[in-house]
Parts: sequence; C-alpha cells; structure tokens
Amino acid sequence: MNYTNYNMGPYNLHIIKNDDFKAINIKVNFKSKLDKNDITARNLLRLYLVNNTKLYPTERLMNVASEELYDLGYGSQGLVSGNFSIISFYVNFLNNKYTEEDNLEKSIDFLCEILFNPNVERKKFENKNFNIVKESLKNTIESKKENPRQYALDRLLEEMDKKSNYAINPNGYLADLDKLTEKDLYKTYEKMLTKDIVDIFVIGDVSANEIKELISKKFLINTIKKPVCTHFIDHDKFRSRVKTVKEEQDISQSKLYIGCKVDKLDLFQKQYVANIYSFILGGGPDSKLFQSVREKNSLCYYVSSSFKPICNLLIITSGIDKKDYKKAVGLIKKEIKSMMNGDFSQEDIDKAVATYINSCEAIYDSEVSILNNYVTAEYLGFDLMEERIKKIKTVTKDMIVEFAKKIHIDTIYLLQGGDQNEQEDLQ
Amino acid sequence: MNKKTFNKLGLDVYSETLDNGLSIYVVPMLNKHNIYATISTKFGANVNEFVPIGEKKMKRVPDGVAHFLEHKLFEQKDGVDPFTFFSQNGADANANTSYYKTTYLFSGSEKFKENINYLLDYVQEPYFTDENVEKEKGIIDQERSMYQDDPYWRMYEGSLANLVNEHPIKYPIVGTKESIYEITKEDLYVCYNTFYHPSNMFVVVTGNVNPEEVIKIIKENQNKKKFPNKQKIEIKKYNEKKEVSVKKQEIDMDINTNKLAVSYKIDISNLNDYTFYEIYNYILYYFDIKTGVTSKLVENLKEEQIIYEDFGLAVNNIDNYILINIFAETKEPEKLSEIIKQEINNKLIDKEEFERKKKCSISSTIMASDNIYHINNKIMSNIIKYGDIVYNDYELINNLEFSKLDKLIKSLSFNENTIYIINPKGK
Repeated sequence: MNYTNYNMGPYNLHIIKNDDFKAINIKVNFKSKLDKNDITARNLLRLYLVNNTKLYPTERLMNVASEELYDLGYGSQGLVSGNFSIISFYVNFLNNKYTEEDNLEKSIDFLCEILFNPNVERKKFENKNFNIVKESLKNTIESKKENPRQYALDRLLEEMDKKSNYAINPNGYLADLDKLTEKDLYKTYEKMLTKDIVDIFVIGDVSANEIKELISKKFLINTIKKPVCTHFIDHDKFRSRVKTVKEEQDISQSKLYIGCKVDKLDLFQKQYVANIYSFILGGGPDSKLFQSVREKNSLCYYVSSSFKPICNLLIITSGIDKKDYKKAVGLIKKEIKSMMNGDFSQEDIDKAVATYINSCEAIYDSEVSILNNYVTAEYLGFDLMEERIKKIKTVTKDMIVEFAKKIHIDTIYLLQGGDQNEQEDLQ
Repeated sequence: MNKKTFNKLGLDVYSETLDNGLSIYVVPMLNKHNIYATISTKFGANVNEFVPIGEKKMKRVPDGVAHFLEHKLFEQKDGVDPFTFFSQNGADANANTSYYKTTYLFSGSEKFKENINYLLDYVQEPYFTDENVEKEKGIIDQERSMYQDDPYWRMYEGSLANLVNEHPIKYPIVGTKESIYEITKEDLYVCYNTFYHPSNMFVVVTGNVNPEEVIKIIKENQNKKKFPNKQKIEIKKYNEKKEVSVKKQEIDMDINTNKLAVSYKIDISNLNDYTFYEIYNYILYYFDIKTGVTSKLVENLKEEQIIYEDFGLAVNNIDNYILINIFAETKEPEKLSEIIKQEINNKLIDKEEFERKKKCSISSTIMASDNIYHINNKIMSNIIKYGDIVYNDYELINNLEFSKLDKLIKSLSFNENTIYIINPKGK
C-alpha cells in the first residue's frame, strides 16, 4: 500500500495505491463551517446532484448509465462532523482489468457529471426533479419517528444542548425545506464549489500519475480556501443535576439513552484511552453493561456505550421495558461509577486491546475502511492503522481511571411505549 | 481433501467430509488480513415438527425454538462466556438464526487454532439448565419487542404468514411471546440432539489461512469427540396448497407514511426444462427488471409522487414455491398495490434490460470475490439453497438466455398474491 498526497491548489488529492482489491473507490468531500441555517439546503443539494444530471435527466437514466459501467455504485452522504458540515460524493467500480479498457476514465466522467453538470437552466435547478427530491426529503424528515433508535439519539442530543453543533440534524428541518426554491439550491451549489474545502480520496490498484492527470483535467474546481475553525467540540458547561426527559410513542420497546459530556481531552486520550474505556464499559457482549443489564438482570436485548471523539460525548443506549426504567438506570450508573473506582482488571484491558488490534487489522480488508482511515487522519490528525496498533498497547489502567473521572452524566432520555397491548403478533 | 476452483475468480475451495459427517470448506484468500469462520446446522425456524432422534413419533416444538437454542449455546458448564474467550483473542463472535439454518461464527486475524477449536467445542457442548433457560426468556422477549417496532420486519413476517397455509415459515423466527415462555430445557435438548449432529452441519473458513492446516485442526478436534451414528432425520412434510391463506391484511402502527407489501407465491413444480438455479435467477431478474431502480414503473411512480424511495425486495424458497415480497412506502397503498400487480402480470420484458442486468450480476460476483464475508456467505447460502457450492456462476450467468426467461415467465402464474398494509395510527 502506498499513499501519496498532492496539494492541487483548489483541492487536495489523496491517492492510496493498493493491489489487493478488484474495485476502485473514489470519494469527494466538501467541507464547510457548520451553519444550522444552510444544513437543509446542503442536504437537499447532495440528494439532488445524485438524482439526475444534464446528460441523465432522470434518476432512472442515471441508474441505467451506472449499470452500463459494470454496475458502478454511486451516492452521496451528508454529515454533521463536529464544527463542520461535510457532504461527500462517492463512486466504486471495477478495475479496468475486469472490464473494458476505459472503464476508469468513464467512471470518473460519471462522477464529474454528477458534480459539474447538474440539471441547471438560467441559474435554477430544473423544476420537476427538484420537486421530486424535495418531497422525498420532506417525507424522510417527517418519518424520523419510524426509526425509534435514531429518533431517540437525535432527541437526546437536542435535550443535552439545543444550541450545540452536535444537536444539528444532518437531514435538515421542515421549516427551512418548505422555503427552499430552485434558485436557492443553485446558490448553495455555487457556494459549495467555490467556498468549501475539497478533498478527493482515491483507493485501488491504480497508477497515481494516471489518476492525477485524469482528475486535474476533469475537476472544475479552482478557488483556494483555508480551514476556518477546529473540527472538535469541547464542553465548558456541565450540569450540576442530571436532566431527565421522558417522551411517549406507541412502541412496544422503550428506548433508554444516556448522554455524558467529557472534559477536554488530548488526541491520545480521544483515540486510545476513550476507546478502551468504552469497550470495557459497554463495547460488546463481554462488557460490564451487557453482563449486568442483560445477562444478570434480563432487562434488555441490547445495551452498549460508544464514545464520539469529535463531540467529546459518551452515549449509552439500550432497549428496555418501561417498567424497568429505574432499575436499568441504576445499574448503568453503578457501572459508570465502578469504572471511576478502577473496578476492572488488567485482563479486561488486554481483551479490549486485542479486540482493538483485530479491528485495525480488519480495516486492511476493506477499501472503504482504509479510505475512511485516511479521511480521519486528514481531518482530525488521527493515526493510521499501523501506528494505532502500536499506540493502543501503551494504554494503562491509570489512564483509563483518569479518563473515567472526566465523564459527567448530562441527560437521561426515555422514549417510552404506550400501553403494552399487542394483539397483532398473536398468530 | 478435494480442491475445486471458482471459475474466473482466482479462488480455490478445499473441502472434506469427515468420518462423523461434518463437511468442511476452506477458501484461502492470502491477500487478506482477517479470517472468518462459521459453523452452521441445517436447522432454522422452518423446522418445528420432526421425529426426535431415537424416537418414533413426530413432535411439535414451540415456535422460536431454533433461535432460543442459538442463544443458549453460549451457556457453558464451566461458566466461561464464549464471548469472553473470543474477546481475549481479539476476535469478534456472534450467531444468527434464519428460516433455513443457524450459524455460529467468529472473525479474527490472530490465534486461529485456539479460536476454531473453541468454536467447535462450545457449539458441540450444550449446557442447558432450567435456570439458565428461564433467565433467557426476558432477554428474547425484549428482542421480539424490538422487531415488533420495525414496520418492515412486521410486514415481512406478516406477509410470509399470509402466503402459506401450513408451512412453518408462517411463524416469526423469534417466536411469539407465548411460545418463548413455553420453551423448556427438554425442548432444547431434543432439537439439539436431532439437528446438531456433525452430519447435519458444515464449517466454512475464508481468509488468510492454510487449508491443509485448517482441515487438520478440525479433524483432530473431531477425532477426540464421540458422536452417535449418523441417522436420517425425519422432518414433517407439508402439502402446501397453491393458494395463499390470507388475501389482504391491514394493521395500524405509530408511523408517518403507510407501508405496503405485495407478495407472491409462485408455483414452480412443473418447470421440467429448467434447473432450479435457472428458475430462481430468472424469477429474480424478472422482478428486478419490473420493479428495480431502472424500471419505468419506479420512474413513473416517483414522478407522480406515489412513492419516494425505491422498492425493497425479498425472496424465499419453500418446497415447490418461490415467495417474493415487494416493499414500498406510499401514501396510496391501495392504488399502488393495483399498479404493481398490473405491472407484474403484463409479462413484457425489455431484452436490453435483461442483458444489462446480466452484466451487473457478473460484476457483483467479481466484487464479492474480494471479501472474506461475501465468499463465506455465498458458500453457506449455496449449500442451503442448491445443496452444493456453485463454482461456475460466471458461466451460468453468461448462459442465461432472454428467450428462456421470456418463456419461463409466460408459463408462470402470478395470481396467488397477498397485500399487507400498515396504516399510520389515528390518521
């Protein structure tokens, strides 16, 4: 594997040459300072751009064209990442060795068609598709309660701090969506091309020179920008009393979500100590939470914790019967406390380290995972796989206890089911 | 040890059936870092009545027993949790139950010998007590609750139930609240002793391994254990009628947009000119062409804003039937169900579409050959679906012919179907 980074002025080009894969993946990231007011427009934009183009004026024709390219996969993502909004466009396709000679160039053309040849007339996006994509997004936002786990997480983050960047929903907001016009969307598009920081990541069995040449010929981006703020969110206010929020929905399993704020951390703590901590607390079937809440007390099917390094948050999630709410919260708090007291062994640490190393090794088997590892290295200054495997071994018990003491339980959120009356399933 | 090759994919499959009947398949993928190992029994939710080994009379077991058994195999006499063991070695372990099989698995790049020995040992040493069976009921009931809140899963299981009259695919994999609480230690042992004999099981290992060594380790492990002689397992046969059992069902849930499933029961008993591989794949191609992302149907429905998202598709095969489910989100479920039925019944197929879909299949076969999980899953599903591994997908796909597809579809009836609608509560 060989990594090359080219500063092309208006954008950075990252090429990871790797002979182990039969496919090539390309991801183009547009990064801008997070602003709640334009998140809806940015999300609609990325959905629109992969829906149709000038050359392929309907979604069906886009799909036909991608299938002609040996079923090239394509899509877009909208992320709220700390203090940034990142929208990504990606394609993955078979290497020329398995197709016709020019599949690489044609696939890059397809990506460029998405980015640089949208269905625009007189600085306005075409109306019919605009409405289709807009209505579809509207339906997505309106249906957010249909996924209780995601909904509970969104609501927890909102309740923790409505004004924070981490509470911003990457899907956007109905009130903003209703107001958006074809003209507004074009302005958002222009702004994305001229103001966002652009990174292009390419991975596969490729020649770096060939890729560099193709991209520089075809990528029509030419304004130079610099990052304006830090990626990470730190917390300066902590609650003296834990906030509790309960909300009702007609579901059979209640969702218990607990959000914790964490004091300012250095990069080593974020990448390594927090990881080991969260693994021991609630990382898998062998963790303290799983053993206590599920195995010993049979209160749930799933319970886990995860640390969000960009927002400095620790989130604990579980699905329970609402009658067990108090008991479950008590057990979870007890385990959080036991971590502070150093009530875990070197063996627990060793298991977490071994699992971490294995998951680093597994990254090598997936092009998308390798690519994402380079993305976090670029944006967050995180280490690459090899370095990670070395450094994780240096985490000590003292470091974990020190980290545990930085955790402040902030909000307990319960999405509780209505009556427990279920007739339909009695077949 | 036999060696065969996946044609055109550059992968070899080494296999051997041991004296006790256990089949082993190993695919070395030496440019990968990780190893994925699975052991499966051909026992899933589709079996609920059979003659227990050593007995003479058919026994009906409670629904959900295969899944319950999967949970309980993680219980060990020495009290050590298998998850703890795998975690110490940095491996990820899990298990899953489908209608057709139950699979126990791990993935990990280190300590393969220890891991595979442990996998075989814990699966082959059951330890069920009244107490540990009782403890699991609350956990599994929470798992059931979680699925109950998922409208698509509800619709999927509900549609399958309505398609059949007697076949056990009628019942939820996880069971019902009543059946879960009915299950006893004795039920588990009866199922275990009948279906977990090595001759009813198979091991698949993919990734960075030496095949001779893998087979040697497994052989040594099995030689140390004693199993009763192989016996033929007698499972209840169902004379499943051609007709669906329920034509239409509607339920309410706390959702925003109505959900619809249109499901077909396709009789394939009189298609003597075709192999099962052909029948299965031609039918899938047909539904993809008619309702997939490049269909005119989807394009029109999105334009008219009857749907916002693409359709979902599921396939099952029981006895002489192929069961197909088409899933949609729509505000006009009645109208949409009529439109879908009409489209499926008109049987007109565009030849160009068919040729392009073949290209997609070949591409996905090549892509999958890069991934240790995909290859392992392919082998498992081939064994379950076709009784053996399909080595020549590449040729088989290339040999599919439009005229044969056309003729096959014209000879099928799509008249046996059922509609499942979920309406937003209170709307």
